[in-house]
Amino acid sequence: MLDEPYRWVEAIRNRREYLEDQLKSASPVVAQQYENGILLLTSTPGPRKIFEIYNQIAFAAVGHPTDIEKLRKAIIDIAHVEAFNLSARDVSLHRLVSFGIGPMMKTAFDEIFQSPYIARVLVAQLDANDDDETFYTIDEDGSFSCAGEMATVGGGADSKKVIMESASFDNNQTLEQALDRAIRAWAVGRLYSEGREPENAPTNEEILERITTTLDSHQRFDAALLDRSLPKKTKFRLLPKVELDGALERLRT
Amino acid sequence: MENTDFINLLKDNGQFSDTSSVQVDVSKDVEHTEGTTILAVRYRAGVLVAGDRRATMGNTVVYDRADKVVSVDDQSVLALSGSPANAYEIARMLEISFQHYRRSQLQEMSLDGKLRTLSRLIRENLSMALQGIGVVVPIYATYDSAHDDGAKGGGKIFFYDVLGAAFESVDFCTTGSGSHLIRGALYFLNRWGGKGFAEMDFDEVLSIALKLLETAAEYDTGTGGYKPETQIFPQIMQVTDEGIETVLDSHLQSIYETQLH
Repeated sequence: MLDEPYRWVEAIRNRREYLEDQLKSASPVVAQQYENGILLLTSTPGPRKIFEIYNQIAFAAVGHPTDIEKLRKAIIDIAHVEAFNLSARDVSLHRLVSFGIGPMMKTAFDEIFQSPYIARVLVAQLDANDDDETFYTIDEDGSFSCAGEMATVGGGADSKKVIMESASFDNNQTLEQALDRAIRAWAVGRLYSEGREPENAPTNEEILERITTTLDSHQRFDAALLDRSLPKKTKFRLLPKVELDGALERLRT
Repeated sequence: MENTDFINLLKDNGQFSDTSSVQVDVSKDVEHTEGTTILAVRYRAGVLVAGDRRATMGNTVVYDRADKVVSVDDQSVLALSGSPANAYEIARMLEISFQHYRRSQLQEMSLDGKLRTLSRLIRENLSMALQGIGVVVPIYATYDSAHDDGAKGGGKIFFYDVLGAAFESVDFCTTGSGSHLIRGALYFLNRWGGKGFAEMDFDEVLSIALKLLETAAEYDTGTGGYKPETQIFPQIMQVTDEGIETVLDSHLQSIYETQLH
């Protein structure tokens, strides 16, 4: 029956709706530049959502934990085979996405008798060759886009828009400033993805209340950096709990 | 379970250079690049690893700035003697294997796992080694942090045979064409030198290592010595709890000028 074009289009449409529905309640990932590199932040009920891929490349995703793991493993494999065959400098975000996981996710999405990846992915590269390719986001159907100063993946298109509007575009901000702004942007995005009307901007109290609710419901914030100042080949480090707690405390007082 | 191993991943992709079918007519007397003295000494805070810089092909010196001591992760160093082409390939594969494991499995590979990975790589190289070309016998030096089960942390030195067996050296280890010239001296100094290497500070073992490399260079044509006119210094790395540090040429120069003139 699927050899009829209309059926195929219908099946793809159903699949898109299914994925949209599965992903709509995802807690967004907010990523932005700061003076020493790049900050990535999200919340999670348990499993880690932000990972190291290569020396200067980080990966974050929302969606089904098993699919996130599959995609993470795939991109790590591609990066390391590339580094072995050529050199560490040849591992670039652009190539990992456009020849690696982009086509992978697209193929899985189009194969309607197989399960698609229930995931949206954000990858970031420190000091990318092209400033506009610091971040890539890849949607569940494999379509991707790049950005220079900040990026986000999460529930719906609306929440993405408000997160972009409420975060900052300041590459020279300190880590503390970036953290504060990222947490606020995350909370705004979360409120909208939970059904808030786009024209109804949340107040400061509502933002703080949303952060508190998250912490009270056994969720935790998860943040990581690509930190240019690390004196090692790898620039990725998870942000320690004390630094995150400090930022949360600053916001509340 | 998915493939978690980088070497197998390369094999699955058909990108592992399998040398088992390489046939060499040894009667043709193939000349290969080798010749080296490398040594590792365990001192109070960790391990010192030293290597000369010369690469030779038969009786010809082909290069005087070869790097034979390479770091493979934040805590371990490989010192290479034997055929540079295979040695570098093994070092490279080892470094990327450790990185790949740490990133994909979200934990550091254990010391036993790392030693085993190096064994496998040396074994993969066996057919080349048996034909007399491409022999690689590295020294692996690392700092093993304290374990939860009460095991104390400390510097550790391992050496390998051609078949890939790993042996732990307690105090020191040396391999390469010049090693037989200094092994006895190392033993003598460690036992009757007044103080064992394990009791010494870094500066003391550094001075000994430089003097022994000069001794090896004096009697072995495959080992390069200090040449003030070209400013070529041996490579020295220290592996401690704080990681790996390479000793700067300027510091080595001052030691040569004051202690080895």
